[in-house]
Amino acid sequence: MKTKSGYLYLVILALAIVAPFFIESGYVMHTLIMASIYAILTMGLNMITGFAGQLSLGHAAFFGVGAYTSALLTIKLGLNFFLALSCSVGLAGIMGVILGFPALKLKGPYLVICTIGFVEIMHEIFLNWIGLTRGPMGIVDIPYPPTLTLGSWTIDFTVSLHYYFLVLVLTVITFVIIISLVNSKMGRALKAIREDEIAAECSGVNITYYKLVAFSIGAAFAGIAGSLYAHYIGYISPDSFVLLESINILVMLVLGGMGTMVGPIIGAVGVTFLLEYIRFLAEFKLIFYGIVLMLIMVVAPGGFWGFVERLSIPSLDGKGH
Amino acid sequence: MELIQHFSSGIVLGCIYTLFSLGLTLIYGILGLVNFAHGELYMLGAFFALFAVTTMGMNYFFAMAFSVIMMAVFGMVIERISFRPLRGKPDTSVIVATIGLSVLLQNLAIFVFGADPQRLTTDLTEVMVRFFGLAFSFQRILIVIVTAMLIMFLNYFSKYTKTGKAMRACSQDLVAAKVVGININRITIITCMIGSALAAIGGGLVAPLYLVSPVMGIKVVVKAFAVVIIGGLGNVPGAILGGFLVGISESIAAGMISSHMRDGVAFGILILVLLFKPEGIFTKRIQEKV
Repeated sequence: MKTKSGYLYLVILALAIVAPFFIESGYVMHTLIMASIYAILTMGLNMITGFAGQLSLGHAAFFGVGAYTSALLTIKLGLNFFLALSCSVGLAGIMGVILGFPALKLKGPYLVICTIGFVEIMHEIFLNWIGLTRGPMGIVDIPYPPTLTLGSWTIDFTVSLHYYFLVLVLTVITFVIIISLVNSKMGRALKAIREDEIAAECSGVNITYYKLVAFSIGAAFAGIAGSLYAHYIGYISPDSFVLLESINILVMLVLGGMGTMVGPIIGAVGVTFLLEYIRFLAEFKLIFYGIVLMLIMVVAPGGFWGFVERLSIPSLDGKGH
Repeated sequence: MELIQHFSSGIVLGCIYTLFSLGLTLIYGILGLVNFAHGELYMLGAFFALFAVTTMGMNYFFAMAFSVIMMAVFGMVIERISFRPLRGKPDTSVIVATIGLSVLLQNLAIFVFGADPQRLTTDLTEVMVRFFGLAFSFQRILIVIVTAMLIMFLNYFSKYTKTGKAMRACSQDLVAAKVVGININRITIITCMIGSALAAIGGGLVAPLYLVSPVMGIKVVVKAFAVVIIGGLGNVPGAILGGFLVGISESIAAGMISSHMRDGVAFGILILVLLFKPEGIFTKRIQEKV
């Protein structure tokens, strides 16, 4: 069973590597890069919501923290991109722990309201700490990562193909970290918390520890995505990190399939491309989101991938143990 | 004197919160789901009233009746297509679905009615009533009268009618209610109809005072969550008391201290309640069992 899902991951990876060489237009390339960034975000949310079962609408805040940290460090302190990226990851992870603390006491609707409050607070901070973030004007001219030279290869990140591979490498790293965590003791503990918190506690699972770790890891991945987004687009403003963005990520997760490994990737890529290529959908984007969230929960709570799994052989995704 | 004026406008505010929170808490008590789309029901209620007055040329009172009937039907529809299939699903699914419903309704409203705030003017808006040196617009007095009547009606309904007793039974124990022969589906439909009708009355009553816009629901829903949590989720008297507590303290804080304090007060109380009595001020603590 394990090897079967392993092949599937390799096929997806091969597709992701080969795809850009068949793409001529810069526009499609841009969509692909955005889709990969969203895939990282969605996988991070999957850690919190899919595996640990803590429904959070706070992901846009972590995304924003990552973006602002990395942008400000490179612009104001002239830090190297890769150092700034690590700082974003660290700070977003700390933010995750901070949001994780109320999550220890709160459940269900209470937690959702608390995470909405967190996004609002962070948005107000981005908006009003004008000395640091320039408020509503946003941060402009965020530099691309510096050119790397590996032997005879020059990697110039202003070329979108090269930037795509940077994003892809980080997406793969995210995927590998999450899959190894999920298949370890920690993954089983998280699933136990998701299914029944009290029963998990009675069986000796340290709920405090695992919930905080889930939140901080999920947030740290959002930090990576934020940094990649800021240096790719070159401009960030508080308007990009609002509740709507959290709902955006949630839609991708729900559509792809919560608590699966492949689901978030399919969701992120699917939703990004659907919105770019079906203008009708983009126009009624939020109506579409509303219908997706409602319909999927009523008809197929497992999302797209859950549906596929149910159709095909059981435990294709290595969930069967 | 000033304090009394603030106190009375606090009561008006409290009435709105109460109407809103009553529906929210009723639905939670019986269906066991937190309706994140409740603000949209309130918003739609206001829009139906506005539509009836401006486009259909109705009298304000008929427009209110129209809006209440439309929203009761609407409540029935969403129960059937969304809440009933969700029964027994995990919390996360239910919350995601109602958030989806909220996003859907809000953006449908933007699509149908336009994003611009609109004003509903009635003959009553400008009428002022004075007594004891205090001035009130008639609309505000109407809000208090309607809320008082509704609370009395609901009290009568839940205590002395068969359906009301069945509803209370369902909120105590759904399975036991089923065992003694209560038709659960009928009760949940009635609950949703009452809940959305109450939200619609709130929306319709507020429409002449404030602007009507597709985002008006979100502003109130967050406060209403604070109210029902303060009162205790699913606790009907708690929602009423919580509504007045928040409304009055908000209005006094805004008037006597600073208008910036207005939104802070509700959440300040909320934080204190969550810290010291998370099950709500008016609810007895029940230990959760496995």
